[in-house]
Order: sequence, then structure tokens, then C-alpha cells
Amino acid sequence: MKTPRLIKAFLILASGLFFSCEDQINTTYTYRTMMPVYLEMSDVRARMIAVEPAQPLDNPGKIYLYKDYLLVNEPTKGIHILDNSNPSSPVNLSFIPIEGNVDLAVNSDILYADNYVDLLAFDISKISNIKLINRVEDVFTHMYRHDTGQIITFKDTVITTDSPRWETWRGWAVRSDMSFAANFSAASQSYGTGGSMARFTLMDGHLYAVDETTLRVFDVKTPNEPKFVKPIDLGWGIETIFPFQKKLFIGSNRGMHIYDASTPHSPTRMAVYEHAVACDPVVVNEEHAFVTLRSGNFCVNNINQLQVIDIKDPYKPTLKKAYPMLNPHGLGLAGDFLYIAEGRHGLKSFNVKNVMAIDQNQLEFLENMKSVDLIPGPKSLIVIGPDGVCQFDYSTPSKLRKLSCIQVNNPVVIK
Amino acid sequence: MRNRVIYLILLFFFSYVKGLAQERAYFNQTEVGFLWGKGTKSWEGDYENRMNLTVSSFHGAKINAHHVVGFGIGYDQYENLSLIPISLGWRGFLGKEGRSQLFGGMDLGGGSTLLEKKETTDWYSNWYEGGLMLHPSLGIRLPAKNGKWALSGTLGYKRQQAYFFEGSFDRSGNQPLPGSSTLPRGYSAMTETSFLFHSLVFRMGVMF
Repeated sequence: MKTPRLIKAFLILASGLFFSCEDQINTTYTYRTMMPVYLEMSDVRARMIAVEPAQPLDNPGKIYLYKDYLLVNEPTKGIHILDNSNPSSPVNLSFIPIEGNVDLAVNSDILYADNYVDLLAFDISKISNIKLINRVEDVFTHMYRHDTGQIITFKDTVITTDSPRWETWRGWAVRSDMSFAANFSAASQSYGTGGSMARFTLMDGHLYAVDETTLRVFDVKTPNEPKFVKPIDLGWGIETIFPFQKKLFIGSNRGMHIYDASTPHSPTRMAVYEHAVACDPVVVNEEHAFVTLRSGNFCVNNINQLQVIDIKDPYKPTLKKAYPMLNPHGLGLAGDFLYIAEGRHGLKSFNVKNVMAIDQNQLEFLENMKSVDLIPGPKSLIVIGPDGVCQFDYSTPSKLRKLSCIQVNNPVVIK
Repeated sequence: MRNRVIYLILLFFFSYVKGLAQERAYFNQTEVGFLWGKGTKSWEGDYENRMNLTVSSFHGAKINAHHVVGFGIGYDQYENLSLIPISLGWRGFLGKEGRSQLFGGMDLGGGSTLLEKKETTDWYSNWYEGGLMLHPSLGIRLPAKNGKWALSGTLGYKRQQAYFFEGSFDRSGNQPLPGSSTLPRGYSAMTETSFLFHSLVFRMGVMF
């Protein structure tokens, strides 16, 4: 009797299991995204900005040279101040915490820095006693809702969800790759600037700031009282700004804009030199503009070039010659010598006296010096790359000599 | 790490079983059959059943007249996914030897995705990973006339986990987020699909 009961019990159990159990399939999506964060600008303004002791460089952004000082932006966090009177051993002095800060410029001992939508002016005449002296409110209005006084910034986060890709967050549809690309390029992508990838620049008593679409003009003739003059619409994909002899050369991902700034408060467009979509920093001398075009990242075209553009007639820029490059990022011009950061391929130097034969006048190709940008400074050539912020003696342009490297916690990653 | 432990246990078991087998205590059960399961609910509200091939081979040692312990290896098909189940198991027999017997079995192990290829392109990579397997069963043993061989039929339940991963490589060139352990290094997005298959198992084969 024992046996049939056992069979019966098993059959009941098995059928029960079977009819109640269907296969279970669960999917989770984990992705990195820029998640919107809402901030009340009134709260941001209410917070005191007090200079803090030196902090280690974490993920440096724009670098600015002023007198014997290096001012290094920590994107969205603030500005490091370093004493660089001896480029062989720079000394980290202090840190100015500024929320939402991605750029800076210095004019007559006044440091200008963005604080989300505001422009701040600091008196840095005494480096041991830096003071906030002015705040111009509501000037960088992208990501700003004026009616509520709220700003939207984005936090770099990893999200896990069980609904695919599109994630709604307080009314915002956030898509992993899209939002990340768009916002990251606006924030941290401005790494290694002050050289050819700058977004703030000063000329003729005016501060020019470019964001993705707009050129903003500030009158800083009275340095401690910056006045917002006006915005100028530029079109999409603006990346860098380079001032030269009363002209502004603005690099976008579609080409190079040339603006006449002889009337400093109201620059007017002289020409737009268009090329295929690519990332392109610009440097300029009297006759030529040097532009690098790079593939990869968000600039998807497969072009890696150095273009030399004749700008003797700034209304009619013409391509003079293009040279193939490996993966050029930033570039710097010091007299007749051009230095190009070739990403993971290294660092190149050229004599560009004869612009038609730049390829025949390559001086050095330091393949182990991976780099994304560089600044030719008065005492040293500053190179930004995965090794941190390095300085080279370039008094003999054909032979670079490494002086020092400032260690960085999260150095640039180059693909 | 977990796999390594499993392999070690299997190795130990295998050598133990082999040792016993030399004492003519070797037991083998090899069967072919099908797995029958109820798929997930479709948008229309009904279920699509699946019925796929299963092959299993159990190797054990008789520890006494009614009990066998050993290990099993096999092949299970779940729609598009092929798994190799590897398990430790027990068989218990009811009734006199030489006559028809009822037996119960329990197998516990994991499914290996050795047969599934990892696909990697410039942009993404996807792969399967196996999970835990639990398989209680009940069967009947019908001995052949010479007494050494027997036909067997098994009815059982099999619970099998498996995972499918698809990750997009991070091509942005941005630094990895500090402390973001939920996303493996080098990926910007990861889709994880976990499968839990409940199947009824029907198999026929031989024992010796």
C-alpha cells in the first residue's frame, strides 16, 4: 500500500508544481547616466565661499596660467591654486570651493569663475587672502528656469532599473547614452583648457564666455565690477575660443567661426570656415589658423587631421593644407613651434615656419607622453594627460625636457 | 571561485566513486527524454509551452543495497539556450533487487554554458552564465532477464537558473565612477536577464 500512495503524492506534487510555476524571466538594466539634480539658486548664493587648504587634484579641468600661479579647475567643484614659480616642483597652495564651476579667467588680479548661472569675481592680488568681491547674477542661463529660480545640473551616477533604457525622473526622460553625452560634454569635457580648449577668454577689457550655443560678453574694464553686456547666438556645437589680435576664433564641431572684436562689446561675425563634423581646437598666428580635427568620442567622423587655414583675409578663410594625424586633441603654438597632443599616441612637436611642409619638419614624437591638451607657458610647456599635469622645459623647442608631473587621483582616460 | 570549488568537489567525488567502482559497486543511469515547461505570459495573456531535449548520465557507487551516490552530467535544451548540467546526486531504491523497483532521486548542481559562445564586437559583448540546478525525481526500474541491465523511466521536476548579460562598452573615454561597483569596469551599460526555468522531466533509458 505504501507504493501507490507515494506515486500519488508525487504526481500531485509534480502537477501542482507544474501548473503553478511558469518560467520567470527578469531583466535589469544598469547604466551610467547624468541624473538631473535640482538646486535653488538662492541656496547656492547663500552659501559662503571660503578658501580651503590645498586639496589633491582629483580630475582636473581647465588650467589657467597667471603670473607664477597655476589655477586648476576641478570641474563642478572649484579651483586649485598652485605656486608654479619653480616648474620643477609646483606647490599646491589652496582650494576655492565653487559649486558648478567649470571655467575661469584672470584679469588684473581679478579671477572670474562661473558658479552655475552666476559669474563670480575674486580678488587674488594677495594669494594668501583671496576674497569674493562681486557676483553677477543670472548670466549663464542654460539649465536655468528663471521663473522658479531653480537650476538643473546633472549628477554622474549609475542607475539600476527593471524598465528598459528610458527612465523618467521628475518629469525628465533620461536616456543613458544621450543625456550622458550631452551633459558630460558641457561639463567635464572641458578638461585641460586654458590652452586651445578654453571656453572663457579675455581680450581688450572684455571677458568672452562660450557655451554650447552662445557667446556671452562681459565688460571688465573695471576689473572688480564685471558687467554683463549681451549674449550672441553662435549655433550648435561650440567648443573652444581663442583670442588673437582683436579677433575671436571660435572652434565648433562643424567649423571655425571668426569674429571681429575691434568693437569689444559687440563682436561681429566675419566668416565661418566649415568642415566635416569633428572635434577641433584652434590656435592662431598672424597669417594662419591651426585646427585639429579628431575622430572618436562624440565627434564621430573618422577624420584625424591638422588643417592649416589661411586667415590673411579673415573674411575669406581658405584651407591651405591638411596633414594626416593619429588622434590630435589640443594643440599649442609658441612662435614657430607647434605642439600637438596626439591622445594615446603621444606628443608631437613641429616647426611650422613653412606651413606647406609641416610634415617634413617634425621635431619630436614622444610616444610615451600620452596627452590631451597643452599650454605653452612662459616658463614651461604644460601637458595634460593620463600621467597628470606635467611640465616640460621647452627652451630648446626641438628637445623637450620633463620637469615635473603633478599627481592626479582620477587622470584623463584616453581611448 | 565558486566554480573552482564545485570542480574540486566533483573531482573528489569522482575519485571516490571510481574507487568504489573498482569494487564492482559502479552504478550507471543513462536516459534521454524531454523537458516540458510553461513559458512566460505573453501580452495576449497566454503561455507558450516549451518542450526540449534532455539527456542525462548519472555515475554512482552503491553504498549499500538501496542507496547510490554519484555525479551526473547531461545536456539540457531550453529553447535557444543549451546547458550542460553538472550535479551531485543520490538514488534510493525501494523493493527487492532483481524485481521491478521504484526509485527516488535528487540531484543538485549547476548548469554550465560551455556550449554558448560569448559574442564580442567593438561596441558590446554578450554572454550566458549558468546558475543553480535542483532536480528531484521519481522513477521505475525494470530489470532485464540477465539481471545486470535494467530499463528505467523517470518523472521529475527540474529547477534551473541561468543568466544572460549584454554590456555596452564605455567608449566615452570618461573616468570610471569611483565606487560604482554595480557596473563592471569598462562598460557604460549592462543588461542582465535572469531566467528561472521550471520543467517537468520525462526520461527513459538504461541502468546498470
